[in-house]
Amino acid sequence: MGVTISLHKTHRRYTNGKETINVEGNTVGECLNHLTELYPDIKGAIFTERGNLNSLVEVYINAESAYPHEVKKPVKDGDIIHLIYTLAGG
Amino acid sequence: MLTQDDLIRYDRQIMMPEFGREGQKRLKKAKIFIAGAGGLGSSISIYLAVAGVGAMRIVDHDNIELSNLNRQILHWNGDVGKEKVYSAKQKLQEINRSIDIETINRSITDDNVLELTEGCDAIVDAMDNFDTRYILNRAAIKRRVPLFHGAVNGLEGRAMTIIPGETACIRCMYHGPIESVKFPVLGVTPGLIGIIQATEAIKYIVGMGELLKNRLLIYDGMDLTFKEFKIKRNPECEDCGHL
Repeated sequence: MGVTISLHKTHRRYTNGKETINVEGNTVGECLNHLTELYPDIKGAIFTERGNLNSLVEVYINAESAYPHEVKKPVKDGDIIHLIYTLAGG
Repeated sequence: MLTQDDLIRYDRQIMMPEFGREGQKRLKKAKIFIAGAGGLGSSISIYLAVAGVGAMRIVDHDNIELSNLNRQILHWNGDVGKEKVYSAKQKLQEINRSIDIETINRSITDDNVLELTEGCDAIVDAMDNFDTRYILNRAAIKRRVPLFHGAVNGLEGRAMTIIPGETACIRCMYHGPIESVKFPVLGVTPGLIGIIQATEAIKYIVGMGELLKNRLLIYDGMDLTFKEFKIKRNPECEDCGHL
C-alpha cells in the first residue's frame, strides 16, 4: 500500500502536475528519498545543497505537523505526508 | 460603559446572544497592537474599527507606493508617498470616530518591541517577513498576550492563534530564518486572511467561540478550499519551551 505524498502546487511542476505520489519508506526521510528517485528534479526544491530539508518546506503526517526533526519521523502504510510551502507575505 | 450611540452603532452585533452588551463592553476596553499597515493590516484594522475595539496601536515604517494599492485598501490614490500609519489613522478615524487610533512610524525590532506593545491586550501579526514575526512571537510570549498569526502569497493564505503557555507558538512550527523576498499576491487574499485574524481577535476579547488554537488554517483561493493542520507545542522550542 505504501505512503502517499501530497504535494503543494509549487512542487507539482516537478511531477508532471501530479498532486499525490505513492512511495515506500519507514520514515519521512526514506519516503522523500523515494520521491526524489522517482522525480529527481524535485530534490532541489525540497532539500538544500547540504541535504537538509529546505526551510520553506513544511511536513505534515496525517494532517499533523512533523516539526522538528521531520525526516526522522516514522511513517506506516496508509499514512499521508503533506508537503506544504511556507508563506511569508502580508 | 456603553453610550447611546454605541448601542445604536453596534446594535446588530449586540443582538448576537454570545456577544451581547458584555461583549461590546469588553471590545471597548480592549487595546490591540497591529504590526503592519499593509495588506493584512488594512483588513484587520478596518474590521476591528467597525466592531468597536476601543483602542488600536498600529506600527509600520513604510511609505505608500503605487504598487501597494492592489491590496492595501486603507491607502488610496492620493496617499501615494505618505506614511502608511498617517493614511491608516486618517481612514480608520473616519470609519469610527469613537475609537482611539495610535500610530507609530517605526520598524519593529528586538530592542523596541516590548516598549511598542506595552499596555496592549493582544498582538496581531500583519507583517510581510519572518524576522519580525519571530520578534512579535517572543514579545507575545514575554507579555503573555495572544498573537494572531497570518501570512499570504498569491491566492494562498494561512492563520493561526497563539496563546503563550497554552498553544504552539510560531517557532514551534517554522524552521527559523526565512529569506524576505518580494511576493506575488492578489488583494483578496490578505483581505480574507486579515478578516480571519480580526475574527479571532474579536472572539478572544469577547470570550466566545473556538479559536484556531494549535490549528493552522490554510486557505487556497485557486481551488477555494480550506484545510486544517494540527500544530503541537515543541517542548524544545527556543521561544516558548520554558513555559
